[in-house]
Amino acid sequence: MKRKLLGMLLTVSMTATILAGCGGSAPAPAGTADSSAQDTQTADTAEEPAKDSETADTQDASADTGNAGSGDSTLTVWTWDPNFNIYSITEAEKIYQKENPDFKLEIVETPWEDMQTNLGTILGSGNLSQLPDILLMQDFAFQKYAITYPDMFTDLTGSGIDFSKFGPGKLGESTVDGKNLGVPFDAGTEVACYRKDILEQAGYTVEDLTDIDWDKFIEIGKDVKAKTGYSLFSTQAGSADFIMQMVQSAGGKIWKDDGTPDFVGNEILVKSLETYKELFDTGVMDTGNSWDEYIATFTSGKTLGTINGCWIIASVQADETQSGLWSLTNMPKLSGISSATNYSNQGGSTWVITSNCKNVELASDFFAKTFAGSNELYDTILPGCAAISCWTPAASSSVYSEPIEFFGGEKIYSKIADFGAKVPAFERGVYFTEANTAIATAATNIVNGADIDKELEAAEETVNFNMGN
Amino acid sequence: MKSKTRLNQRRNIYGWLFLIPAVVLIATMSFAPAVSALITSFKTGNGADLHFGGLKNYSRILKDAVFVQSIKNCFFYLIIQVPIMLILALILASMLNNNKLRFKGIMRTCIFLPCATSLVAYSIIFRTLFATDGFVNLVATKLHIISEPYNFLAHPTSAKIVIIIALVWRWTGYNMVFYLAGLQNIEYSVYEAAKIDGASALQTFLRITIPLLKPTILLTAIMSTNGTLQLFDESVNLTNGGPSNASITMSHYIYNQAFQGVPKFGYTSAMSFVILFLVAILAAVQLKVGDKRD
Repeated sequence: MKRKLLGMLLTVSMTATILAGCGGSAPAPAGTADSSAQDTQTADTAEEPAKDSETADTQDASADTGNAGSGDSTLTVWTWDPNFNIYSITEAEKIYQKENPDFKLEIVETPWEDMQTNLGTILGSGNLSQLPDILLMQDFAFQKYAITYPDMFTDLTGSGIDFSKFGPGKLGESTVDGKNLGVPFDAGTEVACYRKDILEQAGYTVEDLTDIDWDKFIEIGKDVKAKTGYSLFSTQAGSADFIMQMVQSAGGKIWKDDGTPDFVGNEILVKSLETYKELFDTGVMDTGNSWDEYIATFTSGKTLGTINGCWIIASVQADETQSGLWSLTNMPKLSGISSATNYSNQGGSTWVITSNCKNVELASDFFAKTFAGSNELYDTILPGCAAISCWTPAASSSVYSEPIEFFGGEKIYSKIADFGAKVPAFERGVYFTEANTAIATAATNIVNGADIDKELEAAEETVNFNMGN
Repeated sequence: MKSKTRLNQRRNIYGWLFLIPAVVLIATMSFAPAVSALITSFKTGNGADLHFGGLKNYSRILKDAVFVQSIKNCFFYLIIQVPIMLILALILASMLNNNKLRFKGIMRTCIFLPCATSLVAYSIIFRTLFATDGFVNLVATKLHIISEPYNFLAHPTSAKIVIIIALVWRWTGYNMVFYLAGLQNIEYSVYEAAKIDGASALQTFLRITIPLLKPTILLTAIMSTNGTLQLFDESVNLTNGGPSNASITMSHYIYNQAFQGVPKFGYTSAMSFVILFLVAILAAVQLKVGDKRD
């Protein structure tokens, strides 16, 4: 009997040990470090996780924070993409170093997934001293952190950074109660990229796919599919990002004025889901189960195009042998909706100076003279990594009107800047991730034949449940 | 007589001294956080703004459709996967225990090897294998078993089956090693005697191997149950819980709730204790059924 009791006790304590972690930190998967990290899709999928490096990252970071104390002109930064935002802030560091040779950034590569886990653990424990000086935050999560953990931000209003030079829509993502809590970095203006050569085989040009609605798009798509076997574009299964992009393109919303979900009977959302199902059923749209499969659909030839935030260009350009074969235009609009446009947004991010920053003055001066005040910086990073600026003076830069060879000499950046100005505003809200997940579940079921109204009801219930305590 | 007691006392003290570091570490690193998680589980609120809410989190769990779905998924894995895996492991172990078999060492290593792979790496490899343009579909279409590639991860049942296949691949060798170790304790002469008496291979397996391995089988059953209910990596990396939560596990859902959306640490801690409770019940049942020694 004694042994039995002991066995029982051991088993229970064994589980308790493993579970204990759940209160503070569960084992974390990591996001990819490629450009996909810019996107909620990666936030939803955990790719190439590096469980070990995750803890290592935290340790490194805390070590950095500790060491940096010796020299006050060294700031720690958490950000995720070596080819994109790490590259950009390194360029900014070089520019700022011209005036301040002592200035140094300690950049810790932290995939967004890890960042979420780290922030959750650090902020949940209340030990803010583990935060870096600066971090990059996904726009879709900004309001969530701003409302849930207001203590993690430094209020930058009146810090010497000129916020009036940023587009109001983008600035709104990082503004809470009139306070500027972040410095806008890149935009995620929606673009559609297509392979010209394959379209031509089917007898179409990119002009045929410009300024059209989804009905026309599906008509052309079916024809192209029949003639060439290619789908026109793809999405990632299990993510509602694309549906959100459609809703935003028509100036729609997903929240009622009282903050509760507005799914059932939401004309624009219902139309988006109907379109999504039709695109799927006709085979005009392909799906990838994971982020890498999604990227592979258009890089290795299942689809002849992609529709996503403009940062997707980095993935489109990955295969140099396809140089000159691509063309860029706007996305189709929802048909039968009066407010529908051909413009939307996916992704984008904002720099945050945390409340743990040991030299706020230096950090804000750094941003004031780089991301919020340097044409030179934007002239470097635009061709360097296709970072579309949200800083209005940069839009007049001559770099924008340079022809891009990969896109057959099109001036894609001035096109994107032009699209960006027409993007309807979209309120993501604090519970955007919850809404996104619930609608993704609904979309999967709808594609498999479930009733739209019933699924939206269930999704609304799920979100309401998650919003309650 | 007196000196003997003192010696015993001294031995006891040394024993305790040696135990202290481990006890301190376990207490501070495991039990203290577990207790603190238990306290957190009675609090409600978002992020750092937590306040005492009594049993609210626990009553909330029953209304959470996704969590209920994740419990069902875990039990599906448990009921289908654990028996398959343990039976396979038993069969492999008794086959490899044969003294006359050659290259035993290599074969044992090969079967155990999957267990040495990283959970995340093997999950991603399985995801790639079962992708629409993956290896499995390629082979199946080339052999004309199916005419068109089948999207395994996009259908609820096939997604779950892929996870089960992955789990069996990963853990069978691990359990087999336990059985092999257990088999070393069974005298080979018992088998020889059975052979002389004319017992068939199946009879030896059912009448000798299984009864004598019972304690080991019990151990592996409890460990597998424990592991399956806490499944995380496979759900996250292989299927990402999809399609529409059809393959999500409890731990994965808890992770999502804690770190993906607006964080609710109170509620997620409460859900963690539900897992603990389920594991404890199952372990108790298994001990009751399986261990008849005392």
